[in-house]
Amino acid sequence: MDYTKQIQDIAGRLFSENKIDVFIGYRNTGFDENQVPVLINQYKDVDQLLFTDKSVFNLANYLKYEHTRNKRVGLVVKGCDSRALNLMLTEKQVKRENLYVVGIACKGVVDETGEMAQNCIECVMPDAVIFDEMLGTPSGRREYQENADVRELDGKTLTERQEYFEEVFESCIRCNACRHSCPLCYCAKCCIDQETATLFQGANTTSSAFHALMTWSLHLAGRCVDCRNCEKACPSHLPLHLLHKQNEKVIYGNFQEHLAGMIEEDRGAFYKYSLSDPDDFIM
Amino acid sequence: MNLTTYSTDPAGLQSFYEAIISAHDTYAPVEKFGKYDFIKVDALSSCNPDSPIPKTMSVKPLFFPKSARVMKYKATSEGTELSDTEGDPLAGKRVVLGVKHCDARGLQVLDAVYKWDYVDTDYEKRRENTILISTRCNEASTHCFCTSLDYDVEKLDAFDVAVINGLDGKIYLQARTEKGEFFLKENANGLTVANGSAQEEMKQQFEKFAGSFRLKMDYSEINEKMKGRFDSAVFEDIPANCVSCNTCAFVCPTCHCFKISDEKLKDEGVRYKSYDSCNNVYFTLMAGGHNPRPVKYRRWRQRAMHKFVYYKERFDMNLCVGCGKCTISCPVNISIFEVVNRVASSMQE
Amino acid sequence: MICKVEKIIQETPDVRTYRLKFKDDSLTDKFDWMPGQFVEFSLLGSGECTFCIASSATRKGTFDCSIKRAGIVTADIHRDLEEGDEVGIRGPYGNWFPVEELKGKNLLFVGGGIGLAPLRSLIQYAIDNRADFADFTILYGARTSADICYKEEVEEWKNNKSLKVVLTIDKPEDTWKEHVGVVPKILEEVVKPVIENTKVITCGPPIMIKYTLMSLDKLGFNPTDVITTLEMKMQCGLGKCGRCNIGSTYVCKDGPVFTYEELSKLPDEF
Repeated sequence: MDYTKQIQDIAGRLFSENKIDVFIGYRNTGFDENQVPVLINQYKDVDQLLFTDKSVFNLANYLKYEHTRNKRVGLVVKGCDSRALNLMLTEKQVKRENLYVVGIACKGVVDETGEMAQNCIECVMPDAVIFDEMLGTPSGRREYQENADVRELDGKTLTERQEYFEEVFESCIRCNACRHSCPLCYCAKCCIDQETATLFQGANTTSSAFHALMTWSLHLAGRCVDCRNCEKACPSHLPLHLLHKQNEKVIYGNFQEHLAGMIEEDRGAFYKYSLSDPDDFIM
Repeated sequence: MNLTTYSTDPAGLQSFYEAIISAHDTYAPVEKFGKYDFIKVDALSSCNPDSPIPKTMSVKPLFFPKSARVMKYKATSEGTELSDTEGDPLAGKRVVLGVKHCDARGLQVLDAVYKWDYVDTDYEKRRENTILISTRCNEASTHCFCTSLDYDVEKLDAFDVAVINGLDGKIYLQARTEKGEFFLKENANGLTVANGSAQEEMKQQFEKFAGSFRLKMDYSEINEKMKGRFDSAVFEDIPANCVSCNTCAFVCPTCHCFKISDEKLKDEGVRYKSYDSCNNVYFTLMAGGHNPRPVKYRRWRQRAMHKFVYYKERFDMNLCVGCGKCTISCPVNISIFEVVNRVASSMQE
Repeated sequence: MICKVEKIIQETPDVRTYRLKFKDDSLTDKFDWMPGQFVEFSLLGSGECTFCIASSATRKGTFDCSIKRAGIVTADIHRDLEEGDEVGIRGPYGNWFPVEELKGKNLLFVGGGIGLAPLRSLIQYAIDNRADFADFTILYGARTSADICYKEEVEEWKNNKSLKVVLTIDKPEDTWKEHVGVVPKILEEVVKPVIENTKVITCGPPIMIKYTLMSLDKLGFNPTDVITTLEMKMQCGLGKCGRCNIGSTYVCKDGPVFTYEELSKLPDEF
């Protein structure tokens, strides 16, 4: 999967036709084989751009920062990225007319070992669902599969699970990289930033990590698109996907097989009401 | 005082480690979620003193934990009682195995700030009671640039004991401080005092190590050049892809900013000291609403300038040890090495 | 160190002065401070904040902190703290106004709003050692007459023949008999200070300081003769937490009192 040439051409064209102010893509770090997201402001820099199976980071995240606010933006989105973008559009975080979206028919990106990432193996929608231009041949929607790790965890006893998660929360250093890397965590005042938090106080303790991560994952329930920006961002390598995939599984099973951001104008599972929603838990 | 060098072989080193672990409270890199944390160990099999550099977290939390209790209080009918928190889990006598060069240097850098003016007694006690034993740094990893900074990696005295490879499978244990000398003497069972060629062999090993660095810079030039770059336009451009999390500061062996917060339950409470970072938008936000660094590039500028200019002016050290941890942990792979080089090489306006 | 709140004085709608006394009497004598220093004030359970000591050590026994309701902790202080309650105090920290250097000089105080608090410490000190100083002028401005702090004390100062007090508010009010207009304007048009042998001590909101410094410049003051005290977010007060860094300067150790000359050498980040 290499769309480097096409993306450079598109970005170059958009700049020369003065259709965009900034283009968000990837470039090589220049130090290792990893890539770093890059915000390009002028035509002469477009040759930095590239796209391969190491183009991992979900670029929709950059739509929430001051560098792109109220500007005309071009960006590259993979399947999962585009689902996040869909939600950002529905939630009025960006204006569609300000965006030029280069969709990718994604064949999966790799993790740090060079193998295909787990979320790509389990991906339900590798093709961009929203785009102005599509690169590659779409392979279509796939069957939803339950996450292997969640299934394994479900098989364990409550005590075992508790012990496991205690270790997870103990390892959290509360750097908030997960929330800052998430395109759907755009709140100006976030409930898990210690300084504005009202649920718990500021110390970086295990209990604060528990509260923060649980609250955060519930805010993303029915909205998480499984791009795993958070998990890849975590310096402690915590298995954050367990929280999100568990939520996803419950929502998929109970709310008409809802998957976040699959269609335009999609509202998160918790924002819409249907008569067939389960209500047997209501007294 | 004369500092002794001992010689042994890989099997001897293993039994040296084992003896230490059984005799002392020992901390060593333990694999957890695919990376290594410094954790208390009771067997050599559960840890790896030669853990890979890029996957090993800093040793900083053993001296400056992510969150520490500093005070307790209790409201009673007679009034408020304050008390020190008892039982600092990190204050006892202990040994740390597998410390990287950069990490140990990071502690020296922290010493400067924690011991100027008011001395942080908790920190000082933790430092005093700890014996640091180095790992064998044989080869630089992708993001290492410790040899580019203002200290002598070869003679690093931040360790109490350095472990260095020699020729023909020999391993040398070299005391680097008085504390280390006493420690080695007490634990020298099975070790022999090294012969004359040891210095030469260690030097060769160091040269091999120094030759394996891909990243190199001249720190004094960088310090000098960055001084005049406060208003450099590059600062506005560089952090465009930064996501404003605190990861780089929290994993950094030298970042030492913290915040104080209270946690209370009815009439009792604890005051904590926890990590904080200058990348955090709330870091300098004052109650009145004034924030001297409201935008990302200003916070980045503070970070870069503090590391390579301000700290140098104040304490004559760089607030960076070239470990590359920030780059490795960064969600978007921003490299501090690249940033300072770009700033330093930007045109003087 | 635990202090008891002896008295709470409502200065303005959102500023209260808390008069504190050490619970342990032996500390009262030990606790000595110079005008311009600050303390870390804890409302246990809510958190800790930095406040300057708003009274002078020449008036011993108690000390004052004037607190404006602004953030989370200060809101809790205003809401929860009552007379007789206990608070935690650390300090005094920071440097102080260069009292020795000021001796024999004309003093011109320029304060705005709650910025009078740190100046009040020095004003009290100077009044108690009146013979040490030459001419003595206080220019104090607030947004409205209700926002004037230390109203009774300001009246006292006005009645004190050895001081000149100029008061101003930003907008005219019916019952207001003093000057109207922003501080820098009054400084230039009414006070018309003598430059010779004068030291200016100023504190107030950032915007006032900015324009006051410009006026002083215009009037011909030497930057070394202009002294101000900075506000910066602090947490430890001990030169450790790194929050109050401006360049290589720690505001909590090297400050908060700076001359205009020193300030102009710092990176523009306050």
